[in-house]
Amino acid sequence: MQFDDQGRVNKSKKRAVFNQPEAKNRVELFRHLPQYEHGSQLTDLESKFLELDSMHPAVYKVGVQYLAGDVTGGNARCIAMLRAFQEVINDYSTPPGKTLVRDLTAKISSYVSFLIECRPLSMSMGNAIRFQKSRIAKLPLTLSETEAKAALCNDIDRFINEKIILADKVIVRHAATKVRDGDVLLTYGSSCVVEMILLYAHELGKQFRVVVVDSRPKHEGQALLRRLLAKGLSCTYTHINAVSYIMHEVTRVFLGASSVLSNGTTYSRVGTACVAMVAHAFRVPVLICCEAYKFHERVQLDSICSNELGDSNDIARVPGRPDVNSMDNRTNEKNLQFLNLMYDATPSEYVSMIITDYGMIPPTSVPVIVREYRREYLLI
Amino acid sequence: MNTDDSSWWPMGDGGDKIEGSQATARQTAELLRSVISQQRVPYTNQAGALIDAVKAIGEQLIAANPVELAVGNIVRRVLHIIREEDLSLTTAAIGGLNLSAVSDDENDDDRDGDSTLSAAAVAAAARSTLRPPSLQTLLEDTPVSAAVPQTSSSGGDSEGKSKSADKSSRSRKLKHDVIEAVNELIQDIVTCHEQIAEQAVEHIHQNEVILTLGSSRTVLEFLFAAKEKKRSFRVFVAEGAPRYQGHLLAKELVARGLQTTLITDSAVFAMISRVNMVIVGAHAVMANGGVIAPVGMNLVALAAQKHAVPFVVLAGSHKLCPLYPHNPEVLLNELRSPSELLDFGEFSDCMDFGSGSGSPLLHVVNPAFDYVPPKLVSLFITDAGGHNPSYMYRLIADYYSADDLVVQRRATAGN
Repeated sequence: MQFDDQGRVNKSKKRAVFNQPEAKNRVELFRHLPQYEHGSQLTDLESKFLELDSMHPAVYKVGVQYLAGDVTGGNARCIAMLRAFQEVINDYSTPPGKTLVRDLTAKISSYVSFLIECRPLSMSMGNAIRFQKSRIAKLPLTLSETEAKAALCNDIDRFINEKIILADKVIVRHAATKVRDGDVLLTYGSSCVVEMILLYAHELGKQFRVVVVDSRPKHEGQALLRRLLAKGLSCTYTHINAVSYIMHEVTRVFLGASSVLSNGTTYSRVGTACVAMVAHAFRVPVLICCEAYKFHERVQLDSICSNELGDSNDIARVPGRPDVNSMDNRTNEKNLQFLNLMYDATPSEYVSMIITDYGMIPPTSVPVIVREYRREYLLI
Repeated sequence: MNTDDSSWWPMGDGGDKIEGSQATARQTAELLRSVISQQRVPYTNQAGALIDAVKAIGEQLIAANPVELAVGNIVRRVLHIIREEDLSLTTAAIGGLNLSAVSDDENDDDRDGDSTLSAAAVAAAARSTLRPPSLQTLLEDTPVSAAVPQTSSSGGDSEGKSKSADKSSRSRKLKHDVIEAVNELIQDIVTCHEQIAEQAVEHIHQNEVILTLGSSRTVLEFLFAAKEKKRSFRVFVAEGAPRYQGHLLAKELVARGLQTTLITDSAVFAMISRVNMVIVGAHAVMANGGVIAPVGMNLVALAAQKHAVPFVVLAGSHKLCPLYPHNPEVLLNELRSPSELLDFGEFSDCMDFGSGSGSPLLHVVNPAFDYVPPKLVSLFITDAGGHNPSYMYRLIADYYSADDLVVQRRATAGN
């Protein structure tokens, strides 16, 4: 992530699978993060399909899905990546003169750097990759190749099942106890866990209504809104500026997270911090729903030291507003920059409780879980 | 007098409602000026007649758009002007009466020789001095009695005659004074941006980072004035959904050569830790120092408070409203069309009224304004200088009279 170091940038460009033009007009504060022109990346990658003989097609497919934005959300991206790695392992055969452990690890690393080129890793994916590599490293040497491959695929299956799917079920059970009749629940953007909670509570027969808060440029809340309405929940839709207006009728706020860091900071979609701050000002409890595999031992104080930058054209262009878009030709002006942050860091004092598969914990207990249960990765 | 107000009402289009405070205020003032100049005033109590006329028109103007508070403000300012002018003329007349009661040989302006005044005149003088002094009466010298006709100085008997004679000449003078004062008011409204922008240099230093939301002409002029004085600074502009006025402001700033970065509203909390000052405009300033501002401002104010960043509000004095905001989200807000948030075509299948209670499952909320409580505001910069939010009530005493808080014509004739 040291994009301001020119030497490293040049090295990574040489290894790059497809070339990405750097964005002009970068914001000074974020020069340490990569920012590319998004227009030509996808076509460039698609045209390289037949040239990439070293790339497994499953990994290539996942990479294209990331780049195009078809697969979004921490859990979905992690599952897609792990399934692709399963296929890689199944199709793998050790070349002569090399050990399985070293060669497979090197292959996985190269695929990971390709995925990073398509879209920077989320923390959940980073944790999953570390788990994967540690499982490969821990393989006993007496196993034959087929047995080793079977063991690795089994491990991936167990990881996905226990850490993601079952964890989500546990979280949903816990969180549904926090929903009472007559509640007004607010959520921001689109989180798969929060959606599951709302649908489960609705199935249990609890009477509540939902406020979906959305923001530019992705408008992720609209997809969530559609799915909730299809199931018959009563919903209110608004945009993030109106959060102060609507907060006085809200009783609970449920938010998803991309990761929770060791100082209790929640790292999630940009705008989550604003919603949590307003909820705190109105004394509404904020509940973060996050699986434990997304916890990370990093610490972060603000949203600037580590983040992801999206396409600046998404900011410059407002769909459906031609009067505002007349400034589109201005993107080349040197005085004007557009900043499209993807994530932000919510301070721990705004969060009342984190609901994980290990139970409902305060934000201060996150480093405890990171430390105590890290061993579980090795034991499984 | 019956005038067709709807033809004069300037707020035809819905697009400029929020940023049109200055234009609305000016047009209201001009309308009231023509009402006053066309009003016939009787000999006695002409101030009352003027006040009645202005109240009649003002009531209709305010009822037409209760959310545009500048209208009510200007109506109350004009009423206050009428009362003030009437008061200063009465004080002058009493002073003149004083002089005419003294012997003709004395030409000095000494008004302390009140031993020969009648009881009524003394009572009138006492009544006028019981009011707290406003800047207007303090600043203008009590006029010399040269304009008052010198009647016979016999004292009590001729007092009634001299008073009516005074009043007849005063009637023309009252209207004239009021119209002059309303002209000054219009001038103040028109030049409020320049006067606020003059103070820009005191607040912006070199290499500053400023955050703003949406677009306000006052903020634009303020930043331009600082740029003129060769201060270099950067501006983060939050786009201000769903009107996206921030894009227009960014375009203007870039055209003048200022380093501008456009961010989404959701990124305000993320970026505010690197910002030195937040400068915003307001739609209206209430009597407790609270601010009615475009939606999203409360978010910015809370984030600024959390990071100890000064939150500065720029507002012309025509935006200062003497009302207290009781339940401002409901009473001082308007909800705009949901189509700005959701495309109706895409979601028309969700507007199914078939559920049990007959109401649709989907509600869309799109408020136009936000209320910022006074404890979140660090400073108000008006054309009368910079003030704390706790000082705003005192400015109200200068600009408005307590009798005018509710603009309604009384059922009984006369005040």
